[in-house]
Amino acid sequence: MEPIMQVEHVTRRFGRGGTEVVAVQDVSLSVAPGEVVLIMGPSGSGKTTLLSMLGGLLQPSDGRIRIGDDVLTELDERHLPDVRLHHLGFIFQDFNLLSALTCLDNVAMVGQLNGMSRKESRQRARELLEQLGLGHRLNFLPEKLSGGEKQRVAIARALVNQPDIILADEPTANLDSHHGQETMRLLRNIAKEENRSVIIVSHDQRIKDIADRVLWLEDGEFKNEVEMSRDPVCGMSVDLETAPAQVEWNGRTYVFCANGCREEFLVDPTRFAKESSGE
Amino acid sequence: MFFLAWRNLSQSRTQFFLGVGGVALALVLMLALDALLAGSEEDLVAYIEQSGADIFVAQEGVKNMHMAASAITLRDMRLAEHNPDVMSASPILYTTSVINTDDGDVLSYIIGFDPDEPLGGPQSVIAGTVEVGREEVIVDDAVARSQGVALGDEVEIMGETFTVVGLTRGLTNIVNSVAFINLRDFQALRPGEAISYALLKTAPDVNVTQIAAAVSARNDNVLALPVPDFSREERQIIKDMSVEILNIMNLSGFLIGLAVTGLTLYTSTLRKRQEYGVLKAIGAKNRHLYQVVAVQASLSLVLGFVSAITLVFLLGIVVPLIVPGMGMRLTQTGVTRVVIASLVIGVLAALMPAWQLAQLDPARVFRG
Repeated sequence: MEPIMQVEHVTRRFGRGGTEVVAVQDVSLSVAPGEVVLIMGPSGSGKTTLLSMLGGLLQPSDGRIRIGDDVLTELDERHLPDVRLHHLGFIFQDFNLLSALTCLDNVAMVGQLNGMSRKESRQRARELLEQLGLGHRLNFLPEKLSGGEKQRVAIARALVNQPDIILADEPTANLDSHHGQETMRLLRNIAKEENRSVIIVSHDQRIKDIADRVLWLEDGEFKNEVEMSRDPVCGMSVDLETAPAQVEWNGRTYVFCANGCREEFLVDPTRFAKESSGE
Repeated sequence: MFFLAWRNLSQSRTQFFLGVGGVALALVLMLALDALLAGSEEDLVAYIEQSGADIFVAQEGVKNMHMAASAITLRDMRLAEHNPDVMSASPILYTTSVINTDDGDVLSYIIGFDPDEPLGGPQSVIAGTVEVGREEVIVDDAVARSQGVALGDEVEIMGETFTVVGLTRGLTNIVNSVAFINLRDFQALRPGEAISYALLKTAPDVNVTQIAAAVSARNDNVLALPVPDFSREERQIIKDMSVEILNIMNLSGFLIGLAVTGLTLYTSTLRKRQEYGVLKAIGAKNRHLYQVVAVQASLSLVLGFVSAITLVFLLGIVVPLIVPGMGMRLTQTGVTRVVIASLVIGVLAALMPAWQLAQLDPARVFRG
């Protein structure tokens, strides 16, 4: 499948000479449609710089970033906003909703920036917010919402222009456990049901559960790519390399989060293999 | 973007009222003085325009009454009256003096007129009589109210005592008032053959300008001006006297308006810096953000302007009740000047925030 995003040998340097800092070093990455990619790493590893470059907010010093047919690194600041508006949806750690606007207007505004009429954009925003369970909060200002509700409004805002890629910066950082899980589920559904790619930068280990791929960024470089697979019994994401249990069955390898799941699988492999393939 | 600008502006009521109120007060500074001077002009020329005369004949070189002295002879007046299109000529004596009352002194034009002549006396008597006899005076009711003078009371003018027998309306202005005494009393106080002005009434449907020119051409001692011209010269005196102070007030109002609008916009933009960054990151272009600032500036100024006009209009009603003789009148010129000043303020005040937005790095949204 043709990747929706292609990152080739991207480097970003700040400063010059003796004060030069290489924030991101020769990073390459392909993201397929519908894929959830999680980028993790310690503080100062270059995650934010990389995310800014992927979002067309910061130009790399070297390398090339392509989204669909648009090569971001060849576009100037006059054209980049259009790419951001049409191809990318942003979800921020602090939600970053416009405090003077209601939920409905926060979402509708992005549609209007994209050329939709006020009526059309409000209709689309209303539908999205209702889908996300915020039908009763349409006319509330952000200050009246809980953290989880704010993040759902931010997700609706990111989706209103039907972007190919969602970029999420620490989307669960300011949420409690329950709302964090809910946000993760939403992001997973967006990727799988709407075939949109989701790139998440986070410290939150729980997000590994919904990621198709986990990338570890350290000192500006990807150290290794962690291939994730889903435990067919409990549904947890499991690191292929370090999975505690695995089974070869019917010509395919199944990995498990624990031996308990493996044993349960072996009682009736057909049942779990079917569910797994149906997924 | 209009909606966002409006919501940004009105989000904090305190800030909204301070911003719009500040602009309104600054514009009031510019409008109020202009309205006050325009009102004064109206009041100052009230006697001339309400006199019923078509032409004022004055000494050669004299074009108005305020701060002027004119002396012509009765012969000069008769010469003017000989013009076949002049129906009547009425003499007045005029000086600037004070009316002494028990409550104090009031600066006043003193007009000496002949009650038997058709023109020269007051045209707006609201109480008492216009038939002023010897040692009698007609004063304006604004003076009467402010000094506690009533019909039958006595006042002193140029050292002589006069009994108030009539009250006029609309002849008091911010500078002075107008009082009418009998021509013979005036002549007794200022002996001599001269009169100050002759007021001519012309035949209907004649060219007043041509008649005035003919009167002036016939006699080198006099200058005859149609009432509109004479009145305009009188107004010009006020304009010339007030132009400097008006300019200072206009400049002060402009600078205060600019400071308030600029500061409001600047702080508002600074406060919303993160949100504007989010808009940029999402895909808004600089022109979208400029629109927000421009609409905010325009809304502040339009609301401030409407408030200022309303306030000055209300002042125009209230001030004369508190300070008799102080009228205020909004003029087209004054309003136009403030509209232009508002536009310039809007553009200048929006420059700094617009520059801020242009410099705003959208990547900051990921840095919190």
